Amino acid sequence: MNMQQYNISDNNFEQCIKCTVCTVYCPVVPVNPNYPGPKQAGPDGERLRLKRGEFFDEALKYCLNCKRCEVACPSNVRIGDIIQLARIKYSKSKPSLRDMILANTDIVGTMSSTFAPIVNTTVALKPVKKVMDSVLKIDQHRTFPKYAGQTFVSWFKKEAQAKQDLFPKHISFFHGCYINYNYPQLGKDLVKVLNAIGYGVHLLEKEKCCGVALISNGLINQAKKQAKININSIRKSINEEKRPVIAASSTCTFTIRDEYPHLLEIENDDVRNSIELATRFIYRLIESGKVKLKFRDAAPVKVAYHTPCHMEKLGWGYYSIELLRHIPNVELVVLDSQCCGIGGTYGFKKENYKTSQGIGASLFRQIETVDPQFVATDCETCKWQIEMSTPYKVKHPISILAEYIDVEKTINLNK
Amino acid sequence: MKNCNSENNEFDVIIIGGGITGAGTARDCALRGMKVLLVERFDFAAGATGRNHGLLHSGARYAVTDKESATECIKENMILRKIAKHCVEENDGLFISLPEDDINFQSKFVESCQAAGINAQIIDPAEARRIEPSVNSTLIGAVKVPDGSVDPFRLTLANIIDAKANGAKVLVYHEVVELIKEQGRIIGVTVVNHKTQENNKYYAPLTINAAGIWGHRIAEMAGAKIGMFPAKGSLLIFGHRVNNIVLNRCRKPADADILVPGDTICLIGTTSSHVGFDEVDNMRVTSEEVDLLLREGQKLAPALATTRILRAYAGVRPLVAADNDPSGRNISRGIVLLDHETRDGIPGFATITGGKLMTYRLMAEWATDLACKKLGIDKPCVTMTEALPGSREEEPMPKGKTYDLSNRIKRSTVGRHGDMASKIASDNEFDNSLVCECEDVSVGEVQYALKELDVHNMEDLRHRTRVGMGTCQGELCACRAAGLLSEAHNCAHQAKADLAKFLNERWKGMYPVAWGEALRESEYTQWVYSGICGMNKMEEK
Amino acid sequence: MKFDTVIIGGGLAGLACGIRLQNRGFKCAIVSAGQSALHFSSGSFDLLNELPDGTAVANPEKAIHLLDKKHPYAKIGDKFPVYTQEAKQLLLDAGIEVQGDSKRNSYRITPMGTTMPTWLTLTDFTTLETPNEVIGKKILLVNIAGFLDFNTKFVADAFETNGAECKIISVSLPEFEKLRQSPTEMRSANIARVLENENTLNALVAKLKEASKSFDTVALPAVFGLSSNDPVKKIKQLLDIPVHIIPTMPPSVAGIRTQKRLRRVFELAGGFYMLGDSVVNAEIGDGKIYNVYTVNHGDIALYADNFILASGSFFSNGLCASMDGVTEPVFGADVDFDPNRNTWYNASVFGAQRYRTFGVATDDQFRIKINGKVQDNVYAIGSVLSGFDALQEGCGAGVSLLTALYVADHLKK
Repeated sequence: MNMQQYNISDNNFEQCIKCTVCTVYCPVVPVNPNYPGPKQAGPDGERLRLKRGEFFDEALKYCLNCKRCEVACPSNVRIGDIIQLARIKYSKSKPSLRDMILANTDIVGTMSSTFAPIVNTTVALKPVKKVMDSVLKIDQHRTFPKYAGQTFVSWFKKEAQAKQDLFPKHISFFHGCYINYNYPQLGKDLVKVLNAIGYGVHLLEKEKCCGVALISNGLINQAKKQAKININSIRKSINEEKRPVIAASSTCTFTIRDEYPHLLEIENDDVRNSIELATRFIYRLIESGKVKLKFRDAAPVKVAYHTPCHMEKLGWGYYSIELLRHIPNVELVVLDSQCCGIGGTYGFKKENYKTSQGIGASLFRQIETVDPQFVATDCETCKWQIEMSTPYKVKHPISILAEYIDVEKTINLNK
Repeated sequence: MKNCNSENNEFDVIIIGGGITGAGTARDCALRGMKVLLVERFDFAAGATGRNHGLLHSGARYAVTDKESATECIKENMILRKIAKHCVEENDGLFISLPEDDINFQSKFVESCQAAGINAQIIDPAEARRIEPSVNSTLIGAVKVPDGSVDPFRLTLANIIDAKANGAKVLVYHEVVELIKEQGRIIGVTVVNHKTQENNKYYAPLTINAAGIWGHRIAEMAGAKIGMFPAKGSLLIFGHRVNNIVLNRCRKPADADILVPGDTICLIGTTSSHVGFDEVDNMRVTSEEVDLLLREGQKLAPALATTRILRAYAGVRPLVAADNDPSGRNISRGIVLLDHETRDGIPGFATITGGKLMTYRLMAEWATDLACKKLGIDKPCVTMTEALPGSREEEPMPKGKTYDLSNRIKRSTVGRHGDMASKIASDNEFDNSLVCECEDVSVGEVQYALKELDVHNMEDLRHRTRVGMGTCQGELCACRAAGLLSEAHNCAHQAKADLAKFLNERWKGMYPVAWGEALRESEYTQWVYSGICGMNKMEEK
Repeated sequence: MKFDTVIIGGGLAGLACGIRLQNRGFKCAIVSAGQSALHFSSGSFDLLNELPDGTAVANPEKAIHLLDKKHPYAKIGDKFPVYTQEAKQLLLDAGIEVQGDSKRNSYRITPMGTTMPTWLTLTDFTTLETPNEVIGKKILLVNIAGFLDFNTKFVADAFETNGAECKIISVSLPEFEKLRQSPTEMRSANIARVLENENTLNALVAKLKEASKSFDTVALPAVFGLSSNDPVKKIKQLLDIPVHIIPTMPPSVAGIRTQKRLRRVFELAGGFYMLGDSVVNAEIGDGKIYNVYTVNHGDIALYADNFILASGSFFSNGLCASMDGVTEPVFGADVDFDPNRNTWYNASVFGAQRYRTFGVATDDQFRIKINGKVQDNVYAIGSVLSGFDALQEGCGAGVSLLTALYVADHLKK
């Protein structure tokens, strides 16, 4: 009997000592009075829900799941997880057609890519936007990310796959929906950089959407199914093929590493350490002296780095920032870490549009003050939001690396 | 004959003590048409009433050892479910046998329960684990009984509200300092008003002593001697509901073998030890008691070992020795009604004591029957069927989807006040603002309590609303509540002093368990109120 | 990852130390498990208000030789006045405007309207020369309608006791309506956020101008200036009569701003601040620590020449109390405490509490010990230290700032 444990709670919500710090850093609270705030929705509400489930409040759906409350909490309360778990456990509301559409990024993506020219023009048409706005409740101010005509995967299979086995070392690449359907160029950039430092890039045996949008739209069973498929593929890659798994998206990475065990009850202890962000993977190689990068001469550029919420939660902004600082012609300004407001599919919903833009306003102002040539960030939805809300282009650190790397010299340097 | 000058000072019956027994007796007497005065030296439910498990006994606990108590319990249990449903949670109870317990006790236990009229059913341990996942999974036997929980503060208050509605006068913070005797008969009481320090005399042909353990001294004032023994029972309150079904051990009653879920928390108790009368006003829970409660508690529900403890507290049961046994060896837990006229030759005075929270209504009925007999009133008792205020109407719970927090707050207020929740203002944003965020107590609810429920200070407010009873134990809400108190009573000076007193009272229950999270919370609270607010220096001034 | 110094804890002590080191060319990382206790600051920094025996202190510089040798100030010794000057300068250099003198305690106004001795006070707030001084004769005391964490009646009561005449009003603005719809979020920091908007602030000022016509002083809750003290300056400048800002219940707007400011200065100097991360493991050997591992960085260790423990007291989890002891969870450093739990507490919540004097045991250079062995490159600063009761003595901020600077000066590169 371990007497020391008494009064030191296993129940994470009981570590809350009601200091209210989380309410200061919640991006939703100041802009949406219908959201009860992280303290009420999280630890306070949890205690009441344990009394009776009927104390569950559907307004918890206004939580962006940005986890900034968790980062701020001095008591290590997993506030965001408590809120999302409560939604999973108690919510009775069924996802609407709109939510199903937004959540199923890969199914919709497959269809849309096939018909990319049609879809892109169609969803961009004003009458179509109106219908989406009024029938589907997808806000008309939103521009859907364009669907690429050729997915990353089909490009990769056709153009890149064959030569990957020739490299001395290997990784598996969790490309995610965004790279596959909307922005294959980032995937190509990643292949370019990794190949340059001697790594062959491989697809996972099977890859499904990480499920982040399914979780936030309440489609938990489907999220679990997809998570299992992903984890099985990841296990195979790590354990059998001895290839660590890397991703370019901070959200996909965070979801697979942390949301799978915390929200979906899918254990990943055995492989979690080998799933990481591309920037961290490269940083690690550089820091340990295993890899050196050589950059080409280029005109100086001012870049502002935005730390996405899930990056903040991962605590991995350091790696992307250090990597960008490695590029001689980049003058890096690190923006205050704050939420852009998009929250994945959250900001696409008509009822959240105003909230979403309100949350991002302060970030947009700061970007305009800094006035960089472009913004850098590791999250695809932050990119949409910033590009929709400011005149600035947004690039992924890997793309910036790919832009300035001297491939020939780097290959020679690492031989 | 009487030296009073106003008929405002004359009553049919004076009841001493604002615990559940006094409140219930006041209500019963008022319902039977008597002019009633109730005097209480502090607040309602300030003694043993508010310092126990809050267990709605099925009687099973006493079935083997005390059939009479068991029978009373189950009868009263069924009555309370009907007349006081807003004070009661019908949780059911389990009597579990652990590997160290004698499983043969179980059959004797079930037989005794059935003999007392208690519906006790043996269930499979697997079934017990299913219906109550927190139960010690090594259990080897389980019996399901109709236990529940009851909120003693709400129950007392509902009785008081109804007594007043039927004409009773209720004086809180009034202490009896003398029983007025005339020619050997008790004809009234002298009380001191703790607020004004004024003395007042009140008269009645009958004075009923319902002062619990403090009734010992009241009886002495009358010149009667009752063989009472203060028995201290300590309990621990945990931060949230670990269990939803009451957990007991299926064995002879022992220390710390009941875990009761009630409202947002659950509590384990009790220890049992005799203490001196000099200690009854200042109960302290010792570290040995805390250790024992934890050790035994986690045998019922192992999760308690890693659940945050909110506080520790202790109450004093009035144990009464049978009249023919002055040594006190033959203690009865049953109801004791003493007619001091026949017992001691002191007319105009009776004592109702012993018993339990569970059987308060029956105690009140006995006492009121005696009063009727003395006063020549012929009216039957109706309290077994007449619902208490709060439990009369169908509770107007908000239905359907809840998209805003005010609906949740409404649920909380209905939970606490039953049908009286309709009196709580929720019209504007201010009414709906939360004072206590842990327990969902709104400004509207606090104002209702301040206006209508005899609230004199922060402690009273806590008893009426649960302000400060949650996880933070007042850190966030005490100052807000004190602000509303100062508005209502228009005396900021008093409210500040009261805030300090309240924080001290909270600390008294916290420091016996102040390690882990409770110490972090305490340090933070002290940081806020001493460090930022400078209240440590205010006290000195 | 390789740094010159890794600081564990990103509150007042950790940041002050980090800024000083970074300015002297040390590459620092701060690992902070959540936001710090500065979020509950009174807006003042106490140096020494009382000796442990309860004797009031008027001049902290003169009183420190009366302290026990275990007190952190005793270890700083003669350099005490130097460090008080440097600490004040560090804050000023960081753009945190403070006033106060280490030779003479001044008085700050509490949320209860009473006064408490203190050392440095943010210029948002008022400092008084004597405890019973009044801030005005006819005071207009203003609250924001629906804000429950500022109690005008309590403040008025204290002011009136000292002979002032007070009138209480509450002000509503349409811009607050959205916030008010939430039953809980009408909190100081959220109100301050609304008031960051210049038009809203102007609208408030207009109302105050109108309402304060027949008064000589206005008192307001501290709900101004979450990211800079411009709103405070503006409101003081625009009203024709003196404006006094009174602290509220937590969260502390001025404290949050101080935290943000210190962090920014640290980062601008090149330091790296890792928020929401905690150290879980360290490689220890041979009287020194080689590296630490954190939750977020997993198998990537943080290497450094020196480590500084600035992890705070119980509240911040810098110290952990169990039923029978107190531990330091990061390095398992030796802790000064009494194993008998019954001696930890004072039955009065407002009294001196022995548990608050518990903390990490250090040598005369503030180096920690593990199993009795001094660790050459690991220092402890601030509230995690033993030997003082920050609340009773009124010395929490002073210990944090002074030990931070002292240790920063003694680090070898």
